[in-house]
Amino acid sequence: MKPIVSVRNLSKRYHVGRQRNNNPTLRDAFVEAISSPLANLRSKRHGSEVELWALKDISFDVTPGEVVGIIGRNGAGKSTLLKILARIVKPSTGEVDIYGRVGSLLGVGSGFHPDLTGRENVFLNGTILGMKSPEIKHKFDEIVAFAEVDQFLDTPVKHYSSGMYLRLAFAIAAHLEPEVLLLDEVLAVGDNPFQEKCIKKMKSVSRDGRTVFFVSHNLTHIEEMCTRVFFINSGHLHEENDVGTTVTRYLKDISTLGERTANASG
Amino acid sequence: MAISEKVTRVSTNLPDLAAQSVAQTKTLSHTLLPDQPLIKIRVSKGWSPVELREIWTHRELLYYLVWRDIKVRYKQTVLGASWIILQPLLMTLVFAIFLGKIAQVPSQGVPHVLFLFSGVLPWTFFSNAISGSSFSLVINAPLITRVYFPRSMVPLAATLVRLSDFIVAAAVLVMLMFYYRQPFNWTILIAPFLIAQMTILAMGLGMWFSALNAKYRDISTALPVLLQLWMFTSPIVYPESMVPERWQWVYELNPMVGIIEGFRSSLLGLEFNWRGLLISLLVTSVLVVYSTYAFKRLDEEFADVV
Repeated sequence: MKPIVSVRNLSKRYHVGRQRNNNPTLRDAFVEAISSPLANLRSKRHGSEVELWALKDISFDVTPGEVVGIIGRNGAGKSTLLKILARIVKPSTGEVDIYGRVGSLLGVGSGFHPDLTGRENVFLNGTILGMKSPEIKHKFDEIVAFAEVDQFLDTPVKHYSSGMYLRLAFAIAAHLEPEVLLLDEVLAVGDNPFQEKCIKKMKSVSRDGRTVFFVSHNLTHIEEMCTRVFFINSGHLHEENDVGTTVTRYLKDISTLGERTANASG
Repeated sequence: MAISEKVTRVSTNLPDLAAQSVAQTKTLSHTLLPDQPLIKIRVSKGWSPVELREIWTHRELLYYLVWRDIKVRYKQTVLGASWIILQPLLMTLVFAIFLGKIAQVPSQGVPHVLFLFSGVLPWTFFSNAISGSSFSLVINAPLITRVYFPRSMVPLAATLVRLSDFIVAAAVLVMLMFYYRQPFNWTILIAPFLIAQMTILAMGLGMWFSALNAKYRDISTALPVLLQLWMFTSPIVYPESMVPERWQWVYELNPMVGIIEGFRSSLLGLEFNWRGLLISLLVTSVLVVYSTYAFKRLDEEFADVV
């Protein structure tokens, strides 16, 4: 089957530890440019900057309808991968081809404005995520019903609880009907019934032939939903034959790490 | 260093696919996938122009960003939207008292208030647009780091918000013209073109400054000083004729000179300075082209530095 997302040799490099990328000031830039006009070029060539490879040489193909779980420790590069697929962060090397529209929910309610009402935010956020306003109008009731916020539609969202905020944000993203949906650790805030509802919704999304990328630390959710699992470990991608084996490998990795730190400290 | 991503949208496939996804939600088999990727993410080097086509496809978002800012701006103020009119009016009053009455600055034979207001009004728009858009990327960082859309829309929207203010406040200018029995003549038709030029200049510089501000926060401190300096090197509170004639061409390198003088002439029936307008147009073009390219270059690293 033809892939809907095709990733080739993708890497992302961040520069750390040097002033330049750490909110530098104009003065620094001037001083640097004047005092050593060639240093910039030189350092780039010889790579004297401290580099951090958030992702290193990742390749994979994903076909329509797959639900891909992404697991790994904090800072392993999971979110970076989703951000590149969402076109928020640019890759340092490699190529990505996506044969469909992409919808993302990488931070809960990031498109919301606290002073606007729930109703207004549905339209604002829907548009930000790439929906046209007739499409939003058409789905409006469905979104509100899914989010269970109908009583608070005309309240500014700054008065919403974090659960309500999450429900509305997820409802909008889930009704976006993109061919590829990117979700980053979005269910952590919701209560159990809502998490169940979201999982059900994601399953139906994948039955429709859409593709879901799902970052989570909740391995139960991962094993329940995902047809594939990527384990990302310091920028490298590992995938075993099936979901269970990959999850086991991840668990083993965590426990050996735990022993190592225990040994080191003891 | 210039790592950029070429994003090509195969626009012809987009509506089809959207229509299909609404019409049938059962199975999206591989036969429905377009031959060409809708989104191509590539690493590329060099300078690239602003993606005008993409801005056009996202125009609805531009509208919503403007709508959001207008809606939210005066939420916790007592006087609300009347600030749009009060700000230039109060500035005019201050200048009329200190410069007109006390310092006796000439006003080319038109009522002093009218002379001042026809300069302060477009300047208020310009300066608010530049400072508004310069902060826009930083303010919208939560959005920029989580959702994809053409980044240039953020400063563009900030400028358009101020343009809407300007249009409202322009009604006051018309009322003042009636009050001082200032005759209207055909030259007023030139004013919209000058407003358009000023808007485009503000959009360009606003994009550039917003990108710089995302990287170097010095901009936010330096900008008020810069704008103050710019205001006094533009013919807002005094006429260009006060500048020694042999230095006037240098003075006119400031694109706001041609725009403000031209705007005033078109409304108040004064003589046009065509050389000033031409220089202004040239400088504006150069600045806008440079700014948009500079924006795109900085755009490559926004999400990493904001």
